[in-house]
Amino acid sequence: MDNKKRIKVIISMMGLDGHTSGALVVAQILKDSGIEVVYLGTYQTPEMIVAAAIQEDVDAIGISFHASNHFLIEEIIELLRNKGKEDILVFCGGTIPEQQIPKLKEKGVDEVFTPSCTSESIVEYIKSKIRR
Amino acid sequence: MKRETDYGHTLKAVYTPKDIEGFDYERDLADPGLSPYTRGYYPEGYRSRMWTQRMTAGLGSSQDTNKVLHKYREMGQRGGMCVIADRPTALGIDSDHPIGRKEAGVLGWPGGSLAEFEELMEGIPLTGQSITLLGSSAHSMIRLAYVFALAEKRKVNIEEVHGGVLEYPYGSLFGQDDNQPLDLTMKLFLDASEYAIRNKFHLRAGILSQHFQESGGNNAQALALEMAMLNEICSFLVNERGLDFDDVAKLPYELVSIGTRFFEEIAKIRALRRMWVKLAKGKFKAKKEESCRLLISVHTSGRTMTYQQPLNNIVRTAIQTLAGAVAGCTAIDNATLDNAHAEPSALAARMSLNTQHIVADETGAADVVDPLGGSYFVEYLTNQVEEEAYKIWNKIEELGGMSGAIKKEYIQNMLREEIIKKHRQFETGERTIVGVHKLVIPSEEDFKIPIQEVQASDSENIARRMEELKKTRNIPLVKEKLGQLYNDAKKENRYNLMPSVIEAVKAYASEGEIIGVIRLARGLSYDPFKMITCPFDF
Repeated sequence: MDNKKRIKVIISMMGLDGHTSGALVVAQILKDSGIEVVYLGTYQTPEMIVAAAIQEDVDAIGISFHASNHFLIEEIIELLRNKGKEDILVFCGGTIPEQQIPKLKEKGVDEVFTPSCTSESIVEYIKSKIRR
Repeated sequence: MKRETDYGHTLKAVYTPKDIEGFDYERDLADPGLSPYTRGYYPEGYRSRMWTQRMTAGLGSSQDTNKVLHKYREMGQRGGMCVIADRPTALGIDSDHPIGRKEAGVLGWPGGSLAEFEELMEGIPLTGQSITLLGSSAHSMIRLAYVFALAEKRKVNIEEVHGGVLEYPYGSLFGQDDNQPLDLTMKLFLDASEYAIRNKFHLRAGILSQHFQESGGNNAQALALEMAMLNEICSFLVNERGLDFDDVAKLPYELVSIGTRFFEEIAKIRALRRMWVKLAKGKFKAKKEESCRLLISVHTSGRTMTYQQPLNNIVRTAIQTLAGAVAGCTAIDNATLDNAHAEPSALAARMSLNTQHIVADETGAADVVDPLGGSYFVEYLTNQVEEEAYKIWNKIEELGGMSGAIKKEYIQNMLREEIIKKHRQFETGERTIVGVHKLVIPSEEDFKIPIQEVQASDSENIARRMEELKKTRNIPLVKEKLGQLYNDAKKENRYNLMPSVIEAVKAYASEGEIIGVIRLARGLSYDPFKMITCPFDF
């Protein structure tokens, strides 16, 4: 793979969640750190997100949740698996109760960022996991 | 550490009479109960009317939310109830919609049909307390129809029901779960408002700055936006709908978000009262004094509730509640200590209600009206936030008012920039949050609060209930009423759809059907997500 290619990440909301502040901030943080961000915005279905991920050839998908039905993210992982795209990392963040984090990771979510994480921790995570 | 207001105005160490030079008590403040109402609307303040002490409810099924409403009454909710709709409802789709069924009952009450409202209100009176229903703008027209229909069923005079059910059309801009195009939400909002005003309902419309501020906007911007929104809505109702301003003025209520910047939050509310008087008297030539008193409710800020050391949030809520009480308001509903984790647990809700009662009964803050009136600092801040807000508001008006400024993306950009600026200020430590930037503890040492979890099976049950309703209602009647609505929605834009929406609601047409049919008549897809089609043909 071309070493000079920038890391490319989708940041999206999913389902019916309209609370965009978190996603906007994370998209900006990643952009500022040199990561290419495809911001999909609100009301995205798992199908739309996976289609965009394949079309845009991204390295990772980040989903922002605000007190939502977090388990919708499992559908993304299943779709990626069906399409043979398990190499695309899936992470999420938002108001997610701590107790639900192990359950999400069990389902294949690579990392879960709670509101207590710093900007650097998200950037570092992506840069250490993805080397292009 | 920054020593400036949340809108970036540098603060001095001390304020003196020089900072409010030219101050004129009668002109700038006046006694409580007298114009310009800076000090509040009632000469006796909370002695004559205690603020409504309430909590927002809504999670799981209608039955679950009904239980919570009963529980809140037991816990000490006084004067009014407040329920927020779930996401599918807010977005105009039914709980049996392919996407809706995954999120029904999440983040709110599934208000998809009159049947749900009837179950929600089981054993809860429509009168003797204020009825506040939140959600999204398009759905608010249907909420108004629910209240109307249930009052009729219970043989309650609708004029005796009071509260706030309608909701402003701009919410989709401010991170709300709202997806209808602005011209559609505006039309429906004006239809419902006009209907409520002409029929002398005492059910108000929320023109809210809370959503904007909770998304990350600052105090001066929130104040400016509130005025711009009020100005645009009132202008439409007066100029386009031919209503008298003194009738229109009975419609709006404002929900202010109160953060932890204690004095600034108080100044903001005092300035808002003064600015509304100027608009009501200056532009709209209000004839009645009552029209110059804008109803102001307070929501303590969920945005300030931290994930780390959640017990700290009890302290924050207490400070914010005290600010709301000192500023003078008609109702307070609180954020809860677990806001950054999940929906409110029973414990967190109880703490929030207790906080209000402690402020009301123990601190003495409810004994004296506008206790900070005359403070050099607070008067200075009140003037300052008003001045800043006028600058932003004028800019919005230059761009063609609220709708014009939205079209030119001015509002969206202002909010986006402010969100990112705030985030940077917190990350760089220019502004400090205890437990996040200082006095940080390892998460394993943190107190574990109870968590209100959401189960996917709950959503599926709500979806099945909607499917069942759709099979068991009088289907020819539903079709007839929806057909009428479809025809009416095809008429000129100003033809009021409220009567046919009420008829459809009474026939148990669902919300997704009602909004879908209106959308269809206006050339939009029946389903905003384009996954299902209209089950009826007209």
